[in-house]
Amino acid sequence: MSTHHNQDSVQHYYEGDQSKLYSGIMQHHTDINSEESKGQVKRIWKIFWILLVITVVEVIMGMFFSHSMPKGLVNFFFLALTLLKAGYIVAVFMHLGDEFKGFIVTVLIPLVLFVWFIIAFLADGGFWLHMNTDSPARQTIEHVAK
Amino acid sequence: MSQTTVVTAAKEPSLWGGGRSPYNVSYGKMMTWFFLLSDALTFGAFLISYGTTRFFSAVWPDANEVFKAFPFLGEHEVPLLFVSLMTFILIMSSVTMVLAVHAGHYGDKKKVAFWLLWTIIGGICFLSCQAWEWTHLHGECGGLWGSFTDVNTPVEQFRRFFGHKSLPFVDAHPLIAMQSTHNFFNYFFTITGFHGGHVTSGVIFNILILVNTVNGVYERRGHYEMVEKIGLYWHFVDLVWVFVFTCFYLL
Repeated sequence: MSTHHNQDSVQHYYEGDQSKLYSGIMQHHTDINSEESKGQVKRIWKIFWILLVITVVEVIMGMFFSHSMPKGLVNFFFLALTLLKAGYIVAVFMHLGDEFKGFIVTVLIPLVLFVWFIIAFLADGGFWLHMNTDSPARQTIEHVAK
Repeated sequence: MSQTTVVTAAKEPSLWGGGRSPYNVSYGKMMTWFFLLSDALTFGAFLISYGTTRFFSAVWPDANEVFKAFPFLGEHEVPLLFVSLMTFILIMSSVTMVLAVHAGHYGDKKKVAFWLLWTIIGGICFLSCQAWEWTHLHGECGGLWGSFTDVNTPVEQFRRFFGHKSLPFVDAHPLIAMQSTHNFFNYFFTITGFHGGHVTSGVIFNILILVNTVNGVYERRGHYEMVEKIGLYWHFVDLVWVFVFTCFYLL
């Protein structure tokens, strides 16, 4: 018989449900009690503890240090810790770290737009506040209006 | 081409010769990623717009003052404690989800169902917390969206949302402070509401795949990729919460 009629052949997967090819089912993942599986579960729980500790540190900083430390420094820590948490979730929980490098890059590159979005919009907000409160132009307008 | 070479080729990240996905991911999973990418842009637009409004406001409510209530504690002030509990619940449900995905990789039907059930319970706990917080803030503001618009509102009604450093400004310019309070709560309800909507649909998806798992749909199909795809969505929702948490409660 030709391989087309063999239910277990790779050809069959190509013509039917392609997900089988990529879902790991063909990569000898059979025993959930194997050492490999236990190692992966261990890693998941490790990441959980890291995320928990980061969150606790953030909350403690927010409760006790946000008023006593320089605001810029506190915010820098908050943003760094947030990005670290996001990185762990995406790389380990979403398994993006296990994908091909090309795919990782494809998903992440569009997010670089955020760098520009954030800088441009926040700068615009700050400029608006400046124009509206303490800029010389504002004082001139108010003077003229009187 | 013999069968064996195809199997080997599917594993090696060498030059792409056609006949398989160049990224070694199925169509459905890749499109899930691109959907999440577009959703990230939506949430990003919300949060950046919140940031812009905050940057052009001379004064802004202090999260430590707004979010300091906890169920059954009455008048005790415990800033950030309740939202920490919510964050913990969501991280926990993310862990149970990734364990379900893991069990799916090994085709272990019972464990997939077990961990999915815990994920659903976690999601429902999170939504209950959010319902309580919304109800509490509804009482604080006298509404959800569009509160603090009446220019005759006494300053006492929104003064308590500001930190002590901002109070001299609030007392000197009550209308500017009221506008900030109005903006703050509008953004809060819009963004946490949109996130809560995602959690709700995530719980519904999880219930659907739990039913399918228990009925053996994925066992017959030969793989649990659907659990993986819904897992991606669920982790994304957790990811968004990480940013919402930072923007609203910490910064």
